[in-house]
Amino acid sequence: MSLLQVQDLSYVYSQGTPFENTAVDHVSFSLEKGDFVGIIGHTGSGKSTLVQMLNGLIRPTSGTVLLDGVNIWDKPKEIRKIRFKVGLVFQYPEYQLFEETVEKDIAFGPTNMGLSPDEIKQRVIDASNFVGLKPELLEKSPFDLSGGEKRRAAIAGVIAMDPDILILDEPCAGLDPLGRDVLLTQIYRYHEQRGNTVLLVSHSMEDVATVCDKALVMNHAHLEMFDTTQKVFSQGEKLRAMGLRVPQITSIIDSLSVAGVPLEKGTLTVERAVEEITEYLKREGRL
Amino acid sequence: MEFISVQNVSFQYAEEENSQQVLNDISFEIKKGEFVALLGQNGSGKSTIAKLFNALLVPQKGKVFVDGMDTADESLTYDIRSKVGLVLQNPDNQLVASIVEEDVAFGPENLGIPADEIRERVDEALKAVDMYDHRLKAPYKLSGGQKQRVAIAGIIAMRPDCIVLDEPTAMLDPKGREEVLSTIMKLNKEHGITIVMITHYMEEAVRADKVYVVDSGSFVTSGTAEEVFSQVELLKKHRLDVPQATELCHKLRACGVSLDRLPLTEEDCVAMLREVLL
Amino acid sequence: MRDITLGQYFPTDSLIHRLDPRVKIVSLIAYIVLVFCTFNYYALALVGASVFVIVLMTKVPLKMYLKSLKVIIIIVLITSILNLFYGAGEPIFQWGIIKVTWAGIHNAVFVCVRIVCLILLSSVLTFTTSPTDLTDALERLMKPLTVFHIKVHEIAMMMTIALRFVPTLLEETDKIMAAQKARGADMESGNLFTRIRAMVPVLVPLFVSAFRRAYELAVAMECRCYRGGDGRTRMKQLHMSKRDAVAIVLSLLLIAGIVLLDVFMGHIL
Repeated sequence: MSLLQVQDLSYVYSQGTPFENTAVDHVSFSLEKGDFVGIIGHTGSGKSTLVQMLNGLIRPTSGTVLLDGVNIWDKPKEIRKIRFKVGLVFQYPEYQLFEETVEKDIAFGPTNMGLSPDEIKQRVIDASNFVGLKPELLEKSPFDLSGGEKRRAAIAGVIAMDPDILILDEPCAGLDPLGRDVLLTQIYRYHEQRGNTVLLVSHSMEDVATVCDKALVMNHAHLEMFDTTQKVFSQGEKLRAMGLRVPQITSIIDSLSVAGVPLEKGTLTVERAVEEITEYLKREGRL
Repeated sequence: MEFISVQNVSFQYAEEENSQQVLNDISFEIKKGEFVALLGQNGSGKSTIAKLFNALLVPQKGKVFVDGMDTADESLTYDIRSKVGLVLQNPDNQLVASIVEEDVAFGPENLGIPADEIRERVDEALKAVDMYDHRLKAPYKLSGGQKQRVAIAGIIAMRPDCIVLDEPTAMLDPKGREEVLSTIMKLNKEHGITIVMITHYMEEAVRADKVYVVDSGSFVTSGTAEEVFSQVELLKKHRLDVPQATELCHKLRACGVSLDRLPLTEEDCVAMLREVLL
Repeated sequence: MRDITLGQYFPTDSLIHRLDPRVKIVSLIAYIVLVFCTFNYYALALVGASVFVIVLMTKVPLKMYLKSLKVIIIIVLITSILNLFYGAGEPIFQWGIIKVTWAGIHNAVFVCVRIVCLILLSSVLTFTTSPTDLTDALERLMKPLTVFHIKVHEIAMMMTIALRFVPTLLEETDKIMAAQKARGADMESGNLFTRIRAMVPVLVPLFVSAFRRAYELAVAMECRCYRGGDGRTRMKQLHMSKRDAVAIVLSLLLIAGIVLLDVFMGHIL
C-alpha cells in the first residue's frame, strides 16, 4: 500500500459564483515512503492548492486523499493530526516566526501535538541540527537572526513535528547561491537520514534536477507528468509547450544529441554531462 | 562621459570606530547609457552601493557624484533623486496608491509637475513597461512581475537618466523575472536609460555591458560579462554561481578538452561544443 | 474577505458616478441634515421620493442597497418599536404598561424612514465614488482646516496608504493563519479567551511584517522625491462641470422645498 494516495482530487474556488475557477482538476497519483519528489509548474498551475489539500488545510471539492490507506477527512474534527503527519513549509516561512526565542518557536508545533517537555526539547535540538542552526542561536529572539537563519529556524519548526511527509513550497526563494546550496544540501541530508518522503515545490529546474528522484508536473490545474526526474526532463519539448524550462545543462546535451553527438537525453547535472562527453571523446580516441 | 562617479568611498552604518566597514575604499564610474551589473552575495555591500547613488546614504569617506552633483550636498538631494531612480526588491512595498496610474503619477506629483504633463508622462511610462492596459487596476490584483513593472513605470515617469534596481527579480517567478528583465533591457537599448542592476543571479548579470563583482565591501573583479565569468574559480571562491554552460566548458577544459574561451549562453555553448565534438 | 472591504465601490456608467466627488460629499451632508429636518409627512415624502430617485439614477442594482440595509435592519426595527411605545398623548391602544399613541406611530415612521434614507444616501456615495476619489475630495474639502494647523495632506496620504495596504495585509493574514495551522495551531475551538490567545501567533508576525512594509515604503517614497504636501501637484484635477452645477441647483431647490413644506404645512412631531 502506498503511503499517500491521491484519488481524483479536484478543487474549485468560489463554486457557484461567476468567479468559479478550477484550481485542481481530477488529479490522481500516489507517493511511496522515501520518495523525493519535485513539484513543478508555473504560478497558478494549481501546485499550491494541491499541496494544501495533502495536509488538510484545504478540503477538496471532490476526490480523496488517503494517508496510510485512511481518508484524511474521515474525521474532520481530527484534521489537525493529519497536519502533524504531513508537514507543510510555506513560501517565505520566516514571516511566521512569532515567539520570544527561536527555541520556543521551533517548539510551537511539537507543543501543539501535546508531547512531553522532554520530548519537545529533544525534537527542537534534532530539528535545529538538521537545518544547521547553532545551539547558541536557540536562546535568541527569532527577529535578531539573519535572513538565512530565520528561514532555517522556520523550516526547523515543521521538521520538529517529525512528519512522515515533508512538503516545502519554494524553500530557496530569495536566497543567494550559497544560501540555496546549503539549504538544499540540508534538505537532502534530512531526507537521506530520516528516509522520509519529501516534496519540493520549485521554480528552479536545476534544483529539482539536482536533488529530486521524481518530478510531478502541473499545468492548468491538470497533472501532466509524474515520473523519474530524468524521464520528465528528457521531454523538453513537452515542457516548453507548457511554458516550463528544463535545466540548462539538460537542454545543452539535448541539442548536442539532436546535432548527432551520441549523448544521453535527460542528463541532469554538469558532473554527469562532463563524464558523458569525456567518455565519448575517449571512445573516439580523441582524449 | 561618466554619469556616476564613486571616488574612494568607505561606508559603515554606525559611527563607532569598531563597527563593521560595509564598503571599503571603492572607486568606479558609470557612463551614460551603460548597463552595469553589480553581482554579489547577500551582505556583500551591494545594496549599500545602490543607496549611495541617490543620496539615501552619504559616505563617511570619499565622494559620490551624479551628473556632476555631489550627493553630500543636501540642496541637490531631490535633483539627484529625480535623475537616479531606485527600484527595490519587494514590489508590494513600493506602490503607494490603490490604482496603477495614480501610483505611477506619485513621483511626478512630488516633483510639482503640471497636471497635463503628468498625464502624458504616466501614459508614456505605462506604455514603456507594457502595463498601459492595466492602468485602472488595483495593484493587489496584479502578478508580481506586473507589480514590479508598475514600480519601474513609477520611476520612469520622473524621467530619470538612470535607474538603479536592487534585486528587482528576487521575489518573482521565472515568468515575472523574464518580464522585468526584458523591460529593463528595452529601457536601456531603446530609451537610452543608464541601468545599474544589483543581483545575485548570474543569468541576469550576463546581459550587462559591464559586471562588477562585490564581496566584503570591495570589488573582486570587473569587466565585460565574458571577462568576468571566465574566472570560474574566482567566482566560486566568492560563493557565486556561473551559468551551467560556462561551468560545463570550464570542467571539460580541466579534463583536457581544448576550448579557447568559455561560453556564457546555452546557444554559444552548443555551437562551441558541436565544433569540438563533431 | 478582500472584496467585502473594498467592494463598496460599484462602477457603472451613471450620472451620479460622474459627479464631482466634492459635490457628492457636500450634498450628502446637506441631505442628511435635511432628512432630520422633516417635520410633516409632505416633507418626509418629498425627501423619501428624492432619495429613491437618486438611488435609481445610480444604476447600481437595488439588491446591493438591500444588502447594505440588511445589516442595520435590526437597529431600525428596535428604534422604531421603542419610539412606538414612548409617544406622549392619548393612547389608542393599551395593554398593561404598554401603550401606543398617535405620536408614537408618527415617531416610529419618521425614525424608520430617516434611518433608511441615511443608509441609502451613504451607500450612494460609497457605491458611486472610488475610495481614491473619496480621499481626494476629502483632502480638498478639508484644505481650509490647514489654517488651524491640521495636517490635511498627511491625513489624506495616510488614508491613501491604508486603502492601498488593506488587501495586502488581509492576504498576508490568510497566509500566516494557514502557516500556523500547518504547525497545528487551533484557531477554531475553545472559549473567547483561548481564541484570543490563539491569535497571538498570527498577530505578532502580522505586526512585524506591517512595520517592515512601512519602513520599506518610506524608503520607496523618499526615492520618489516625496517631501510632504508642499509644492506637490496632482495628476487628477477635480473640475466642476455643468452637471455639477445642475446637481447643486437641484439640491438647493430640494432644500428650499423641504423648508417651505416644513414652514407652511404644519408640524406633526
